Amino acid sequence: MIENLLLGLNALMTPMALFAVTIGVIGGVVIGSLPGLTSTMGVALLVPLTFSMPPEAGLAMLGGIYLASTYSGSISAIILNIPGTPAAVATLLDGHPMSQRGETTRALALATFASSIGGMLSVIALLLLAPPLAELSLRFGSPEYFLLAVFGITVIASLSAGTMSKGLMAGAMGLLLSTIGSNPLTGELRFTFGLPSLYDGIPMVVSLIGLYSIPEVISMISKKTFVVPQADIGGRRSAFSYLGEVLARKGNVLRSSLIGIIVGIIPGVGCSVGGFLSYDAAKRASKTKEEFGKGSPDGVIASETANNAVTGGTLIPLLTLGIPGNPVTAVLLGGLMIHGLRPGADLFTTNADITYGFILSLLLANILFVPVGLIFARYCAKVIMVPREILAPCILAFAVIGAYSIRSSVDDILIMLAVGVVGFGFNYFAVPRAPLVLGLVLGTLAEGELARSLALVSGDVPAFLLQLLTRPICIILLILCAIALFQGVVQHRRNPHMLDS
Amino acid sequence: MFAAIKSIVLGAAMAVASTTFAFAEDYPKKPVSMIVAYSPGGGTDTAARIIANYMDKHLGQRLIIRNKPGAGGQVGFSALALAKNDGYTIGFINIPSIFLVKMLRDDVPFEMSDFEPIGNIQLDPVVLTVPADSPYQTFAEFAEAAKANPDGLTVGGDGPQSNNQLQLVVAEDTLGLYVNFVPFNGSGPAITATLGNQVDASVPSASSASSQVKEGRLRALAVFADARYPYLPDVPTIAEASGVKVQNIGASMRGVAVPKGMAPEQKAVLEEAFGNVVNDPDFVAHIERLGLPLTYMNAAEFGNYLSSAEAGISKYVDLLK
Repeated sequence: MIENLLLGLNALMTPMALFAVTIGVIGGVVIGSLPGLTSTMGVALLVPLTFSMPPEAGLAMLGGIYLASTYSGSISAIILNIPGTPAAVATLLDGHPMSQRGETTRALALATFASSIGGMLSVIALLLLAPPLAELSLRFGSPEYFLLAVFGITVIASLSAGTMSKGLMAGAMGLLLSTIGSNPLTGELRFTFGLPSLYDGIPMVVSLIGLYSIPEVISMISKKTFVVPQADIGGRRSAFSYLGEVLARKGNVLRSSLIGIIVGIIPGVGCSVGGFLSYDAAKRASKTKEEFGKGSPDGVIASETANNAVTGGTLIPLLTLGIPGNPVTAVLLGGLMIHGLRPGADLFTTNADITYGFILSLLLANILFVPVGLIFARYCAKVIMVPREILAPCILAFAVIGAYSIRSSVDDILIMLAVGVVGFGFNYFAVPRAPLVLGLVLGTLAEGELARSLALVSGDVPAFLLQLLTRPICIILLILCAIALFQGVVQHRRNPHMLDS
Repeated sequence: MFAAIKSIVLGAAMAVASTTFAFAEDYPKKPVSMIVAYSPGGGTDTAARIIANYMDKHLGQRLIIRNKPGAGGQVGFSALALAKNDGYTIGFINIPSIFLVKMLRDDVPFEMSDFEPIGNIQLDPVVLTVPADSPYQTFAEFAEAAKANPDGLTVGGDGPQSNNQLQLVVAEDTLGLYVNFVPFNGSGPAITATLGNQVDASVPSASSASSQVKEGRLRALAVFADARYPYLPDVPTIAEASGVKVQNIGASMRGVAVPKGMAPEQKAVLEEAFGNVVNDPDFVAHIERLGLPLTYMNAAEFGNYLSSAEAGISKYVDLLK
């Protein structure tokens, strides 16, 4: 192990590899913070560039983009209330209120350090525990995925702080919208109005852009937002001084990292689910639950720690079993293969220098995006000072370009605007938007996996229910769902005013 | 008289030849864009980008990838069909996906006659795999179990209405055995489910399964192709394994096509350039390192394959509905 690490260090410590990881991190920070540019796109477009690089440099660059862009979605979420990536939706819930009360630098610094620590812990898990943890990814069958999605849906309660009935409505609407597109078993098209752009379902990133940026633009134009005097921009207090604040919340950081790593190991679940689940867990564990949604530092830390902890988690099944859990790791798999590296035991023995070099470069990237992100965010934060009559059209332009760029489709701009109008309605009636996003993300998963679970037992419902009650992971998930619902009801009885307004 | 005609004909032929030559010399004057009907990072996109990487040398211009993903390829195929036929927009098409899109959906805004073939680059067959600890050691054992228990064995695969499912229904129909097909979101998740013993078997694409088979985590029982798969030389073809000839129309092919009506000289330039790329040793080495299958067909061969595939697919497409 130590010997392999030294080999890896040797491979990494070349000017080329160090340069590549730096470029990857800088590129990733920019890509992630721009809504519409996703890490998948960034990684995919840069793969051809890595063909001609030595393997350790090429992989280090791809890893840098992946980690940095997962983190930097939080920058626009905190500053502008527009998540750069789906993974930053849970960060926005508390990050933006913090920014609004004049703590932009604090929120950004907490997000940065939390991301970095979560990311590093997940890489350490990858380094030390990859083979046993990878087994978990194979134990997840369709019934387990279905229950995980159901458990995720219970998080709606946490996301609708103070407005339970509105939150449930928003969540139900998200679930309904997720049924647009083809039937998971038969391929039959539903609710598409004959628009090919809707055949694959409502495009996630496109709707996210509309849901968050359009209401922001409208409220800027209607002069509903006011520029908040920023106590801490310009740096009376250095961003680095907030590291201690993150480290002091050990329980939150460790819990969120663990949730992130586990979610990452399960193929196909993703960073946003990790963020939502750990946000929920942090809220349940917190003594000051009422602060969540109003600018709680714990909310930002939980979400950001977890969504970056997912990154290391996704690499565990990738490197040990060759299972890519998301589009980015699928591209990374191609990046490994191109250099003749086949995932599996060989990777950790014959090719130990490159593999351990890659893992160490991930650790480095997790450290490197801290200064890069903080410097970048510092300039981004000045956006708040821009007069809103200039800022609003700029955001609108970015929203249109972002929506178009994903699939080069004009239809997507219209979908973005339509979802934007819905988002404005939500804002106007003070309906929380996060449950809608959660419903959209998890509805597809829940429906598809339920259909698949039933198909696997040839439609035999009692057999499916028996599976839910006999498979060990299903039992654990059922218990978690029960606890979540029970807690929700108890809280509702104790503080009806807090949950329903 | 005869000599005069001969000289006129010859002269005309030479004139045509020289203008053709001049035209070909001219083309392409600027980068050519290639529509890819899938998102950046997917298998089709990766293949297209690798080709584009080696194209400058053989085409004299850059090949630029334009992703037009959506609706299982329909958006991109439609864009190609409607593109200008001036030689500067070409497309990467996937077979049988393009036929399935056309045959299974209403209101698809293209006809197969809107495309003209340039050449096929890849052929990625479907392979039947079982977990390493599965009781089925050979295809014969699997077939016997499937026949003994109709619809009893679960077989995962990309789907629904995918090339993988198409291949499975063709095989079921030809061999008279029936299984319970369970669609997953792609070959990758179907392979994961097989590794985890969540299904009895799966029908992923050979390219996505081959490294798991080589690592010994999956066992491949048969490959649905006319010849063995180059990266899995020990796996028998379905004809070898079952003794029955099965139409292998589920194999995923990726080739280049252009909107109809493009000048023949331009098509010839493109055909030659793609023909040269697939023989470029650097390109071949690159593709082989990725474990991607390379099966070149020139325009005529590709056109023939397209018409025979269309006939075969239309016979079975109702089984996918």
